[in-house]
Amino acid sequence: MTLQLSVRSIVKRYGGVVALRDGNLDIQSGEVISLIGANGSGKSTLSKIITGVVAPNGGQLLLNGHPVHFSNPQAARGRGITAVYQELSLVPDMTVAENIWLAHEPLHLNFRVNRKAMRKNTEDLIALFGGTISERLQPDTLVTALPPDERQIVEILKALSIDPQLLILDEATASLDSSQVNRLFSLIKQWQAAGKAIIFITHRMDEIFRIADKATVLRNGQSVGTVDIASTSEREIVNMMIESAATPDDIKIPVVSEDAPVRLAVQNLGGGRVEDVSFTLRDGELLGLGGLHGQGQEDLLLALFGAIPYTGSVKVSGKEVHYRHPRDAMNDDIAFVPGDRGREGLLLVRSIIENFQLPSWHKYGALHNRDAAQRDARAMADDLQLVYAGMETPVNSLSGGNAQKVVLGKWLLRQPKLLLLDDPTKGVDVGTKGEFYALLKRLTEAGTAILFYSSDDDELLGLCNRVLVLQDGRVRDTLTGERLTHSELVAASMGATNNHEVA
Amino acid sequence: MKSLNLQRVFARNTYLISFILLVIVLGINYIVQNNVFELRVLNNNLRTLLPLILLAVGQSIVVIGGGLDLSVGTLVSMLSALLVTWVTPDSTPDQILLAVVLVCAAGMLAGLVNGLVVAYLRLQPMITTYATSFIFSGIALLLLPRPGGSIPRDLSTFYRSPLLDIPLAFYAIALLLLFWSVLRTTRYAQYLYATGSSGAAAYATGVPVRVVRVTTYVWSGLFAALASLTLMLSTGGASQANIGDDMTLDSIVAVVLGGTRLSGGQGGIAGAIIGVMILRVIRNVIFFAAVPTWSQTLVNALIIIAALAGPGLIRLIRRSIGR
Amino acid sequence: MNAQTLRRYLTPPLIALLLAIALFFAGGLINPDFINVTQAINIVRLAAFLGIISAGQTLVIISGGEGIDLSVGAVVTLAAILTFRITGGDNNLIGVGLLASLSAGFIVGLLNGIGIALLHIPPLVMTLGMTGVVSGTILVVTQGEMLGATPALMSTYIAKPLIFGIPGVILIWVALGVVMWLLMERTTYGKHLFAIGVNRTAARLSGVRVERAVIITYTLAGLLAALGGFMLLGFAQTVLLNLGDPYRFPSIAAVVVGGTMLTGGKGSYWGTMSGALVLTLIDSLLRAMGLAEAYQLIVFGGLLVLLIAVYGRELNLRQ
Repeated sequence: MTLQLSVRSIVKRYGGVVALRDGNLDIQSGEVISLIGANGSGKSTLSKIITGVVAPNGGQLLLNGHPVHFSNPQAARGRGITAVYQELSLVPDMTVAENIWLAHEPLHLNFRVNRKAMRKNTEDLIALFGGTISERLQPDTLVTALPPDERQIVEILKALSIDPQLLILDEATASLDSSQVNRLFSLIKQWQAAGKAIIFITHRMDEIFRIADKATVLRNGQSVGTVDIASTSEREIVNMMIESAATPDDIKIPVVSEDAPVRLAVQNLGGGRVEDVSFTLRDGELLGLGGLHGQGQEDLLLALFGAIPYTGSVKVSGKEVHYRHPRDAMNDDIAFVPGDRGREGLLLVRSIIENFQLPSWHKYGALHNRDAAQRDARAMADDLQLVYAGMETPVNSLSGGNAQKVVLGKWLLRQPKLLLLDDPTKGVDVGTKGEFYALLKRLTEAGTAILFYSSDDDELLGLCNRVLVLQDGRVRDTLTGERLTHSELVAASMGATNNHEVA
Repeated sequence: MKSLNLQRVFARNTYLISFILLVIVLGINYIVQNNVFELRVLNNNLRTLLPLILLAVGQSIVVIGGGLDLSVGTLVSMLSALLVTWVTPDSTPDQILLAVVLVCAAGMLAGLVNGLVVAYLRLQPMITTYATSFIFSGIALLLLPRPGGSIPRDLSTFYRSPLLDIPLAFYAIALLLLFWSVLRTTRYAQYLYATGSSGAAAYATGVPVRVVRVTTYVWSGLFAALASLTLMLSTGGASQANIGDDMTLDSIVAVVLGGTRLSGGQGGIAGAIIGVMILRVIRNVIFFAAVPTWSQTLVNALIIIAALAGPGLIRLIRRSIGR
Repeated sequence: MNAQTLRRYLTPPLIALLLAIALFFAGGLINPDFINVTQAINIVRLAAFLGIISAGQTLVIISGGEGIDLSVGAVVTLAAILTFRITGGDNNLIGVGLLASLSAGFIVGLLNGIGIALLHIPPLVMTLGMTGVVSGTILVVTQGEMLGATPALMSTYIAKPLIFGIPGVILIWVALGVVMWLLMERTTYGKHLFAIGVNRTAARLSGVRVERAVIITYTLAGLLAALGGFMLLGFAQTVLLNLGDPYRFPSIAAVVVGGTMLTGGKGSYWGTMSGALVLTLIDSLLRAMGLAEAYQLIVFGGLLVLLIAVYGRELNLRQ
């Protein structure tokens, strides 16, 4: 059975905000199409309309030439169309098998759930990713007990379980490590050969060139064109996405001098996934944290911020400290930009000013001086070139890049001396990334010490002069100078040591 | 690894801690009241307990599905009033059967109304069922302005007597557990837990979330009907317009004592049954331990709070020792 | 004015207030005697007690985490009984009575907060259990005998007309409204309260001491409920074992009718004030119509469903 889907002039409004003004897309069996665009360009909205999760306000879907209307996700699934969503659609209190087969469980006599068949089928699906996942991922494991990458894999397997004709992968690689991404790509090739159609949404340019046949570009809710990957360049695609672009190569942060004061000295730190980590960080230095996803980078930052318990010695400006709460760290001028904006960084339904000032309210007196708070917040917003309607508008009306500016701005308002960054450019569009790089440079020049984790290797190599590579919670290698290369970074991430022995 | 397995056992069988608690309080009960396990005493206790057990079972289905039903108590009042206005001491078996069917239908209808308002008008369950509880109270008062009613004597005698030397309530509880173990294997149960744990994820997966939500309240209505039937059997048909009102909060406390999380997606009816028993046994202990009359309420409340605080307290102590 | 600006200004609290005014005049259509200044003042006076008792409930519900305080009714009773007993009708002891009431409310609220924030007991069952503890304590202390009396001054300053025919309780309610507004909008605690209501992880990672804020919130709720109980004594003049029980759920209903989300993080006290007015008006109206109690209950329940249906709706799963 072949499938041919055309999306024609789709319009979607949320309240007064237009998410999609003219969405178009064509795909047929055996094709891999990449859907790309800056944040807030409408990619996710478009994919949710195709799968029936969101109802469009206008436009048409043509399936094999006939207009279709999916009133709910089941309807789309009935026609072999499903998606792996960006925000996970798993039920936390159910097992891996229960999640994968939810709503299409194998049944005995159309009545009882056939648990044996369910487990067997799940094991078969899990085997697809065999070798890239841990022992934890079993049919009977509760989804809450899994780390983000393995949840993402369960999500992929769940989509696969209906044997879809059209599969949408929405940022499905964002939380996967490179071996898992490689496995996914070889699976995509197999599915493609077997006649499935795949829509692939990503922020990573290299992935588009590795896997897609064509790329359809969205800008401000409008499709601006489709190009053949074989006959295009990264530059061309970036130009279609935005007007101007910055890459980290344009900005290199200068090497910090040896006599700059030490801001942070860490000895044998352990906690969460982190084991026995030691390093120092000087004022004005941008120290990179690298490695595969989930190797303890986030826990290291959380521990230094006092958000999770830890052991070992931490000295801030020469003073031995032991933080039990983020407030303790904040009192020592430390700030932390978390990796998951929506869940850890923002009060989504509250106003911009309340988000900006949340860590700083006590500065404005027992009865707040609203004017001063407004003034400071406005100045910060202008400084960060935040695009906003008013200080009282809720942050969930902002695009991804602008929302991230609010998270960053709320800490800059405190003028931190030590800034801990957990993947601050994840899910941020190219234009805003450029602004962030310039900002990091300004901050280090002003003497701020920055500990910077990024899942984007180009970013680490382009910006930092020193990168700690973590694996299994330990520092595998410290890259400086000429060793700041992709191959060294990858080698260290995979556990190879200085002498290129496999650990 | 061994402790991990133990954790998993507790995570999957949420009522285990409650069961241990029940065994402990039963032990204490035996010390202060030696005849507690005699057939006559056991039968009496379980018989008066059955209405609340049924109500808590319905409540736990709603809670597992992510809701809450504050109207169950007034629903029992309304349905009891309905029953005793239809059934008199002289009713024929056919008339009684018809009344039972009608009461069950009325309970399910009331639940359907609750469910439709919660699921389709998308109103918060707690406040919605609080509002409908006024309606049920009003109807109860209309039907039964003055306390009264009675049912054929043979029926209440049958209900009070053990069958084959086993209390009747035992059969009822066994039936409930059988009902649940069958239900638990169906696709509907998967939908129920998915809806309660994460409505959005369930919806995106194709679970008919709204329909499932409605059904939980229909179950609750049906169990409220069964509760009112057993309550009337137990009282011999003597009712009043607010006879069940106080059972609402007890049903919620029982569900929580049984290890079911109030935010939904977890737990089961075994926990609710155990929870009701714990509540009752605590009251028994207080009574037989000769606690002064005026102190009984306080002691009862303190024990319940201690039971609820137990797991949290252990965690807190373990954490501070770990430091 | 187009639909969008209309929607922006027509916030739930304002809808509730407009509804209250409309209900009042609707009462006049049914029974012309319903509309007069004395009647209006009487209704606001009744609403004031519910409003004061619901103040703490507002904070608790905004604090999120399934926050709810079912112990308000019991605390109201406890405060009234304490004042009744301690003063024994002596005007000079009113201060002592108030202090004792507030202390009792403080302790109950603090215990609620500790159970919920530190022992992770769900608020619904914790405060329900606490209700039992408070009622039990009342029984132990009073042994069922309501000894004491209400000082005459309390009635003068609370229930009877004080300035321009307005009873003191209304003035106190208005003052409390201002204090609550300042507390929620202009203090660090208020900002932290909304933050923990929306997202506790984000709040903690922004330096908010979440457990502390939760404990403060429930403690304030206990204090405010005790204040409500003290005031109620000035009106009721006498105490009963279940004096406060009729306020337990209405305090929640007033908050919800005022547009505060039961899921937390959004809401206002002035919404609760409007909600208390609406609920009291409906109640008075039904009485004025001379309906039988059964019909009053049915109509009240139906209207309550309608009211929360206007704006108390949750997000749709399908957008």
